[in-house]
Amino acid sequence: MSQEEPLLPDDEDDKRLMGLVAGGDDDALRLLVHRHHARLVGYLRGEVGSQATAEELAMEVFIRLHRAAARWRPEAKLTTYLIHIARNLVLNEWRRRGRKPTTALEFAAEPGDLSQGSARRVAELDEAFQRAILQLAPEQRTAILLVVQQELPYEEIAVIMDAPVSSVKTWIHRARARLRELLKDFYAQE
Amino acid sequence: MDDPQKTPFDQELAATLRRGRAVAVAGFADRVVTVVRAERRRRIVVRWGSALAGAAAVFVALLTVPATSEEALNRETFALVARDESAQLADLFGAADDLSLLAPVAERPAVVETFVASGF
Repeated sequence: MSQEEPLLPDDEDDKRLMGLVAGGDDDALRLLVHRHHARLVGYLRGEVGSQATAEELAMEVFIRLHRAAARWRPEAKLTTYLIHIARNLVLNEWRRRGRKPTTALEFAAEPGDLSQGSARRVAELDEAFQRAILQLAPEQRTAILLVVQQELPYEEIAVIMDAPVSSVKTWIHRARARLRELLKDFYAQE
Repeated sequence: MDDPQKTPFDQELAATLRRGRAVAVAGFADRVVTVVRAERRRRIVVRWGSALAGAAAVFVALLTVPATSEEALNRETFALVARDESAQLADLFGAADDLSLLAPVAERPAVVETFVASGF
């Protein structure tokens, strides 16, 4: 596994590839997955707190995308559609398990020289923030992840979450306030 | 969109979350294609399986319909009679044909007895 910037998604090319996927073109599917999976896994890992679960759910997202390829209509960007499916799967996963995301965090920073103060601080910050994010209400967590991590506009988040833009703004505002509250001790130690 | 760069807290939040923005997984696309191909094969097998099951059902029906001839109906009737437990019980006691057992018991009137005795 490695961290890298995703390829820039090209909406028109996504539509063309989806047409090919609907016709059974596995190379087109491979290209779509290669283009979108990194951000999807990143988002899902933020939601569920587990790399393995994030990969399983991302796999299911693409399987569902493949099944729906023939019926898919390009009314929204493919990324919006993918994250919408992903979020529904996350909600199902929580219902199935009867609990919220795992508390066994897997957000340790990439291995590095932890003897350096800056690296240690980054690792501590990562863990503290991710722990706090997992304590947010589901809507707040999704909204803050989509706006800050994935840098999506409010309108797109509203489509993904099936909610009005005003609700999205409220969730983000509350998420920030709650995170400040959860992390106040961490900052007090600084 | 809010400006997340307002405070140190917001800067830390944005920096932390964006570090996990994209997590590329080596070989992930190939894994997806493998799973999709397996699912496609499974669907083909299921489709052919149901088609074959339908054809088999038609074949069995074609074989069994001629057997419901008059002879087959007779066999079924005899089988039903053989399963009739009341008939089997009657056979056991040898009373199946003894209809007298079923005749009503009635005393003859005295006037009839008189006529019988007098030789009428």
